[in-house]
Amino acid sequence: MASGTLYTYPGNFRAYKAQVAAQYSGAQLNVVSDPPAFKLGETNKTPDFLKKFPVGKVPAFEGKDGTCLFESNAIAYYLGNDQLRGTSPKSAALVQQWVNFADSEILPAACAWVYPTLGIMQYNKGNTDQAKEAIKKVLTVLNEYLKTRTFLVDERVSLADISVACNLLLPYQQVLEPAFRQPFVNVNRWFVTCVNQPQFKAVLGVVKLCDKMAQFDAKKFAELTPKKDKGGKKEKQPQQPKQEKKKEKKQKEEKEVDEADDLPKEPKSVDPFAALPKSAFNMDEFKRTYSNKDTLTVALPYFWEHFDKEGYSLWYSEYLYQSDLNMIFMTCNLVGGMFQRLEKLRKNAFANVCIFGEDKNNQIAGVWLMRGQELVFPLSPDWQIDYESYSWRKLDPDSEETKLLVREFWSEEGDFKIMGNRKYNQGKCYK
Amino acid sequence: MAVGVEEEVKSLVNFLGLPAYKVTTHGDLKVPQLQTSNGRTLMGLATISKFLAKSSASNGAKLLGTSPEEHAEIAQWLEYRVTVVDRSVEKKDVQAMLKELNSYLLDKVYFLGFHLSLADLVIYHGLHPVMCQLNFYEKQQYQNVSRWFDQVQHYPGVQQHLPKVVFVRNSLYTSFDH
Repeated sequence: MASGTLYTYPGNFRAYKAQVAAQYSGAQLNVVSDPPAFKLGETNKTPDFLKKFPVGKVPAFEGKDGTCLFESNAIAYYLGNDQLRGTSPKSAALVQQWVNFADSEILPAACAWVYPTLGIMQYNKGNTDQAKEAIKKVLTVLNEYLKTRTFLVDERVSLADISVACNLLLPYQQVLEPAFRQPFVNVNRWFVTCVNQPQFKAVLGVVKLCDKMAQFDAKKFAELTPKKDKGGKKEKQPQQPKQEKKKEKKQKEEKEVDEADDLPKEPKSVDPFAALPKSAFNMDEFKRTYSNKDTLTVALPYFWEHFDKEGYSLWYSEYLYQSDLNMIFMTCNLVGGMFQRLEKLRKNAFANVCIFGEDKNNQIAGVWLMRGQELVFPLSPDWQIDYESYSWRKLDPDSEETKLLVREFWSEEGDFKIMGNRKYNQGKCYK
Repeated sequence: MAVGVEEEVKSLVNFLGLPAYKVTTHGDLKVPQLQTSNGRTLMGLATISKFLAKSSASNGAKLLGTSPEEHAEIAQWLEYRVTVVDRSVEKKDVQAMLKELNSYLLDKVYFLGFHLSLADLVIYHGLHPVMCQLNFYEKQQYQNVSRWFDQVQHYPGVQQHLPKVVFVRNSLYTSFDH
């Protein structure tokens, strides 16, 4: 029986295939995934490693007898047994069919969809939408096929199930939320059965299916992208729980492994919000809701339901020099210019700023939502130009006054008692 | 429907790799009886199959479940076998039972958990005569039962004396209410 060493990084779903196969066959597998024995990006670039595995990628297998293999499916095949490979030519061919299906039909779409949510890859709406459709298509095919079958080939777990399940692992954990996966009841049944087999469990641990579709993690992407800065990240987040750190490490490494050459260039600037703990509030989702749905009946209830008062703060601002304000259209331009200069803040702030009064007698006021508990403007020179011309008052997120201000300013409807006699003229939304 | 219950007990003995026991049936209802090695007599399928599973050091624990919930579920399906499966003789009763099982098995591979248990074995034996009677249309109608049944009969060591029931993988009938 095959025995040897598997080089990989922790949490590599490709290596899982080989590891699960070894669980079924009883092959002795020594998994080497942690420094100093194996350090991704270093060990696999050494001449010694490249001599054995010219591609320089992991997982890579080195048998006790000197057999060297790369490509996860080949390693899984080698470490498996006849039952996993298919006992008749027909079964073996079907196993091959599904192993190839897993890599050519599932994997590209799975990565295109999931990697941005892990911050490994830049988000592109077109690509993500395309990937979602592609995943829907493969799940439809699988669902129909599994209607009359318990496992993919014959009545036993084979390499087909191992490969397809491992390639669907990240999608099931990250993005296939209940509403999305619900129509694919046969695939769900099969997947949950697979990952709960003792041989899978020994490798994957407990697999938790996703509750809510993960979205692009811009913060993580920014963190993961400057690859040179390896030591810095750790110091920035001393509070992170250990597990999370480990996960990040894994994702960082995955990035290095899976990264394609045509990825967008790395942004040079450092994310000023990187030090803040992750927030559950999804700014993009809120802005989409605000833009597309009715403010009073949908967007505001959504906001108050999801608002994370630890991670975000609300502010009321008024223009300090209202006597300088002249014609309404000029005031409009002032606000518009400010929004432009705050361009890079869009991911981390939202506001509706309203103009009250008439020509030669008007005032600007707005309600802002921003990341963190402090005013964000000092963080960047671009952002400092306008904010000093305004008064800023932090709003208590639990007070009735705040609820009223948020409702009036964001819906642009109401008495605006705070503005005295000046009538609402128009609003401008920063989103 | 107690025909072949002796064989069923014997096949469970074989499946579990236990030494042979003396198995007879009792009375008009053909209630199985098993004589244990110390001379005691156990009656009834549920009692006997639990006893046998407990006697098997190797397979028993997995077949009987590991948590209190699993024990309870096993007990429930043993009861279901005796009170529902074995008593469904009329066509409409059989249909109602198949419909119920079909919806139960929609999102499951085995009756409980993610591995074969005593529940699968006793329902498999109980349903075997029923499945033999079904035509392909009906097998497709009760697709989840069929899929489960096929999985269990292919499980190494389960089928034994029973003839294999044939299922087709592709849908033969495209339009029916599901």
